[in-house]
Amino acid sequence: MSLMEDLRYGVEDLLRTERLPHVWCPGCGIGITLNAFLRAVLRRKIDPNKLVVVSGIGCTGRAAGYVNVDSFHTTHGRAIPFAIGIKFARPELTVVVFSGDGDLFAIGGNHFVNAARRNHSILVIAVNNFTYGMTGGQHGPTTPTGAYTTTTPYGNPDRPFNIPHLAISLGAPYVARWTTYHVNQLQNSIYKALGMKGFRLIEVISQCPTVYGRRNSMRTPLSMMEYFEKNSIVKNDASFEEMELKYNEKIVVGEFRVAKDIPTYEERYDEVIRRAKNAD
Amino acid sequence: MSDKKLKKKGNVKIDIERCKGCWYCVNYCPTKVLMVSDELNSKGYHPPKFIENPEENKVCIACHLCELYCPDFAIFVEELK
Repeated sequence: MSLMEDLRYGVEDLLRTERLPHVWCPGCGIGITLNAFLRAVLRRKIDPNKLVVVSGIGCTGRAAGYVNVDSFHTTHGRAIPFAIGIKFARPELTVVVFSGDGDLFAIGGNHFVNAARRNHSILVIAVNNFTYGMTGGQHGPTTPTGAYTTTTPYGNPDRPFNIPHLAISLGAPYVARWTTYHVNQLQNSIYKALGMKGFRLIEVISQCPTVYGRRNSMRTPLSMMEYFEKNSIVKNDASFEEMELKYNEKIVVGEFRVAKDIPTYEERYDEVIRRAKNAD
Repeated sequence: MSDKKLKKKGNVKIDIERCKGCWYCVNYCPTKVLMVSDELNSKGYHPPKFIENPEENKVCIACHLCELYCPDFAIFVEELK
């Protein structure tokens, strides 16, 4: 069998296939992201018994229920604290947080900020669909200014989070953003991040044709994908202003930060324990 | 597409019960070997159909792009030995 066929059958083993078809809407980008993630795991040859997928609440939160590895469907916004706890108790495990924008940046915003600041060794895959999909399309902290949602029928007055900028300013060693259109780049990016340590963030701009697209003149899954296709620019050295997502404008994607040899929280904590033991 | 004859390298297998009819595969197939079928699956979606036409250079080149784009894990490419 060729490598690609191996990956396809490997993905099938890493999924709880008895639960498929999954709950996500037709054309939802979470399935594409999950597929890319599972392929990257297979390419990294991570033992499924040493992998933990943690997710919060929301559409993306359902991902934990479909992966055939140890997974954790946590309370709303608390995916990162649970993941940190797992990593602290069992440092040999690879811990991945797979959650949505509302869960990670609205309800769990403070956890995200502090985990990134302390450089906990977890990989965060943040699926950003610009809205709260599961509850009916309310505006959230990542909805671009001017976008129409159920709670902002005349356009959103808020400014959205600049997620890569936030993560870089907190010193996260790996920060990337891709859209679901960039399937290969996304997979390679997750592959690369799985081989690093420290707090790694990959923001995946995903489509939500059901509740976001239809209020913003992108009614079909394909029209949202076309928007990503036509408006994405790959720019690894993008400035903070360029990273900001604006309504119906260009999406700057790429690997914004790759830094090695930044000590993780676990390493610094071990160091403290060592010093304390030698003190007397 | 150029005049160069493409070599058939694979077959596309579709799990029609998993399909939800987003048609990314139909749109992003570089050789256009998939089309929307008239049939319905049990959930009422139109799954894609594998059609090949070597005359028009419509053959599966086993690029696996449909697999990567499918959000529902419903497509497989079987490579020819």
